[in-house]
Amino acid sequence: MIKILVDRAIPTSAKIKNRQDFDFVLKQHNQSKRSSGLQWYFGVVGLASFVLAVMSILF
Amino acid sequence: MAVNLLYHQSTFRLEDEMSLIEIAKKDPRQFAPLYKKYHEAIFRYVYKRVDDEEAAYDITSCVFVKALASLAKYEFRGVPFSSWLFRIAKSELYQSFRDKKAQRTVSLDSVTIVQFIDELNEDFSEEQRITLLNSLKLLKDNQLQLIEMRFFEKRSFKEIGEIVGLTENNAKVKTFRALVKLKEIFNRTKA
Repeated sequence: MIKILVDRAIPTSAKIKNRQDFDFVLKQHNQSKRSSGLQWYFGVVGLASFVLAVMSILF
Repeated sequence: MAVNLLYHQSTFRLEDEMSLIEIAKKDPRQFAPLYKKYHEAIFRYVYKRVDDEEAAYDITSCVFVKALASLAKYEFRGVPFSSWLFRIAKSELYQSFRDKKAQRTVSLDSVTIVQFIDELNEDFSEEQRITLLNSLKLLKDNQLQLIEMRFFEKRSFKEIGEIVGLTENNAKVKTFRALVKLKEIFNRTKA
């Protein structure tokens, strides 16, 4: 359902500027970069472990 | 119609901005000037479409995190950097609506309502105002987006096209169709 707001208070430019936090953005960016790198690493390691486990059972 | 200076930039400014983007691609810390430049515009775009101010700040932060993550893919192919950011903002907004983190909202002021009723060739009255607000709720979201950007935010068709991924001409045609549809709903609701 769409909500319609008429004549709602608009934050001032000074208030919006005050809420700028580039360090937070950079931190989030670095975290997501690190976690996607880890996902790739554990994906490869996990797959290799699984293949080794299956091979050790079969042979 | 007022000119959006953030959008309509001189060639010199665009070149200046492109060099900032290229530097930021190599070092994310250098993205700070672009963040400072566009933060307010993106926040205002988001704020008008959600009912909660804090949610608007959170979504704005997510837009810049996503922009940094995809910056390497950005190439100037006629779409200005600001429009590219608005596209990310649009996609983040709809993700937050799907995740129920924010509610789809249309923010309007009384002056815009009077101007818009005039656009529909109707005389202003309190009854017409209520009919318009109810009609907007019945419009399909893609049509509502076009009405919002053109008539409530006074964006050019070129800019609208770049944000929603249409040509300038197509944006003009689709906005006109959205206006016709709204008028149809308005007349039906009035009756």
